[in-house]
Amino acid sequence: MKRALNVLSGPVGPLLLVVVMMSAVMIIAGSTPWAGFAALFGGALGGTHELAETLAQTTALLFPALGICLAFRAGLFNIGAEGQLLLGGLAAGALGANFTGPGWLAVPIILAAGFIGGGLWGALAGWMKSRFNANEIISTLMLNYVAISIANYLVAGPFKSPLASGAETAPLPSSSWLPSLIPDTRLTIALLVALAIAGILQFVFTRTVFGYELRALGEAPEAARRNHVDINRLTWMAMGLSGAIAGLGGAAIVSGELHRFNTQLSPGYGFTAIAVALVGDLHPLWICLAAFGFGILESGGLAMQASAGVPKDAIHLIEGIIILVLAAKRFVSTRVEVPAV
Amino acid sequence: MTISFLVSILVLTVIKSVPIIFAALGGVISERSGVINIGLEGMMVAGAFSSVVTTYYLSPILGTTYGPLIALVVGVICGAAIGWLLGFAATRFKVDQIVAGIGINLICTGGAAYGLVLVFNQPGASSSVSALGGPNLPLFDLHAGAVALLVFAFVCALGLNWVIFKTPWGLRVQACGENPHAVKSAGLDPLKFRLLAVTISGALAGLGGAFLSIGELNIYSDGMTTGRGFIALAAVIFGRWSPWGATGAAIFFGFFEALQFELQGHVSWLPADAMTALPYVAALVALAGVTGRVRAPAADGVPY
Repeated sequence: MKRALNVLSGPVGPLLLVVVMMSAVMIIAGSTPWAGFAALFGGALGGTHELAETLAQTTALLFPALGICLAFRAGLFNIGAEGQLLLGGLAAGALGANFTGPGWLAVPIILAAGFIGGGLWGALAGWMKSRFNANEIISTLMLNYVAISIANYLVAGPFKSPLASGAETAPLPSSSWLPSLIPDTRLTIALLVALAIAGILQFVFTRTVFGYELRALGEAPEAARRNHVDINRLTWMAMGLSGAIAGLGGAAIVSGELHRFNTQLSPGYGFTAIAVALVGDLHPLWICLAAFGFGILESGGLAMQASAGVPKDAIHLIEGIIILVLAAKRFVSTRVEVPAV
Repeated sequence: MTISFLVSILVLTVIKSVPIIFAALGGVISERSGVINIGLEGMMVAGAFSSVVTTYYLSPILGTTYGPLIALVVGVICGAAIGWLLGFAATRFKVDQIVAGIGINLICTGGAAYGLVLVFNQPGASSSVSALGGPNLPLFDLHAGAVALLVFAFVCALGLNWVIFKTPWGLRVQACGENPHAVKSAGLDPLKFRLLAVTISGALAGLGGAFLSIGELNIYSDGMTTGRGFIALAAVIFGRWSPWGATGAAIFFGFFEALQFELQGHVSWLPADAMTALPYVAALVALAGVTGRVRAPAADGVPY
C-alpha cells in the first residue's frame, strides 16, 4: 500500500490515473479507449478550428480560475465564480447595447463594466464575511442562484431587447466586439488579456505588499492579524477582485463571441474553473496550463460524445477524481519528504 | 389568504423540509466530529440518482411497493459510500476537507450525468420511475411514503440528539471536533470516530436525496438538488450545530421554498424570478444574522 502510494506521488501518478479513469468510462460507455482518445484529441487539437475552439474554452475557464485562485490564496473559498461571471456579463451586455461614445472606447468600457459587475457581486460575499462572519462557501453558492434570478429577471424585463424573440439584450454594435485572433472562430484577444492577468497576479503574489498580505491571510491568519493586517478590508477586497476577474471573463464572452447577453452565457465555467484553479495548484502560471488541459477535455469532450458515444459528462466525474487525488497526493508527497525514524 | 392557501403552504413546507432536514442532520454529525462536509450536495445527488436507477430496474421485478423501498435503502448506502470516501480522504490522507468536498460534488454530479446517459439513453433527466407511494392520507394530500419519511426525519433528529449528547460514542465524537489530540491522549483513535461520523453523514444526505427523487417526485434530473446541500450547511450553522436547531433551521428554509412555489401562482406584484431567489436570500440573511452568536466546534475542518 505504502509503496503504491509512493509511486503515485510522482507527477506521473495522477496523469496515469486520469488516463485509466478515462479509459474506464469509455469502455463502460461501450466504446474503446483507442476510439475515445482519438476522438477527444482529434476534436480538441486536430486542426486550426479545433485548436481555436480549445483555446476559446481555455480562455473562458482561465478568467474565473484566476479569480478563484486569488480568493483561495487568501484562504477564502469563493465558489461563486459562476454567478460573478454571469453578472459581469450582464453588466457588459447592458452597457454595451446602450453605449454611444467613441468606438475605440467601447471595448475597454465594456470590459470595465464586466470587471465592476462581477467585482461588486464578489465584494458582497466578502462584505458579508467581514461584517457578519458569514461563511463564504455557503454565501457565494447561494449568491450564484440569486445572480441567475437577477439575470433572468433583467434580461426578460428591463434589459430585454424589443427586437429579440428570446430573453436577451440588444446586440452589441460591431465596434464593441473583441477582435478575433483567428478569423471565423470564437478565439479572441481575450486569451491575451487572461494571460496578462495571470502574469499580473503572479507579480502581485510575489512582489507586492498586498499579495504578501493576501497569502499571509490564507496561510497564517492569526499571524496576519497580530501584525496589524486589516483583515476585514483584505477580505472584501480579495473577494471583490476575485469576482471582478470572473466578471471580466463574462464580459469577454459577451463582447467576444455572443455579442449580446443572455443567460446561456456559461455552461458552468465558474464551477469547472474551481477544478482548474486547484489542479493548477493555485499558482497563476500553472493555472494557465491547467486551463489548457481542461480546455482540451471540454472541447474534445463534445467530439468524444459525438463520434465515440462517450457521454461528455464523464469529464466532470474525472475532474472530481483528479481534485480528490491531487488533494491526497499533496499529503503523500509531504509524507515522503519526511523520512520515518 | 384563505385557509386552503395556508394548509397547502404548510403541507408543502413539510415536503420541502424533509430532504434539507436529513442533509442538515448529516452536516451536524460530520461537523461535530471535526469534518466540514462540503460534499453534502454531492451525497444528495448520489442518493437521488442511485435510488432512481434502482427502482427503474427493480420495480418491474419486485413490484411498485418493494422496488422503491429497496431503492431508498440503496440511496442511503450510496450516500454512505460517498461519505466514507470523503471521510477516508479526510482521515487517512488528511486532505483539505473543503477541496475534497468540492471534488466529491464534481464526482457525484458528473457521475450522475454520465450514468443518466448510460442508463436512460438521454441527457438531462431520467424517465419516470415507480416512486414511493402508498395510500394518500386525508386532509394533507400526502402519500404514506412521504409521511413515513417525514416522521423518520424527526426520529433521526431525536436519535441524533440523544446519540451526540447522551452516549459515550457521541461525546467522543464531540471531543474529536473540539480537540482530537485530547481524544488521542485518552487512548482512542479520533480518525475512526471521524470516519464513521462522515459515513453516517453521507447516509443521511443520501436519504435526503432519495426523498427528493423518489419521495417527492419520480424522476432524477441534473441539478435537481439546486444547492440544498449548501442550504443544509447553512441550516447547520443557523441551528448552531445541534440536531434540533438544524432541524428547525431546515424547516425554516423549507418554508421559504414552499412559499416560493405557492406565491408563483398567486401573487402578481412580485416578479417570479424574485420568488425563485427567495430560499437562497433567506439562507443568506440567516447566515449573516447569526453573527457572533455561534461557535463552530474548535477543530471543525482541521485535519488531525
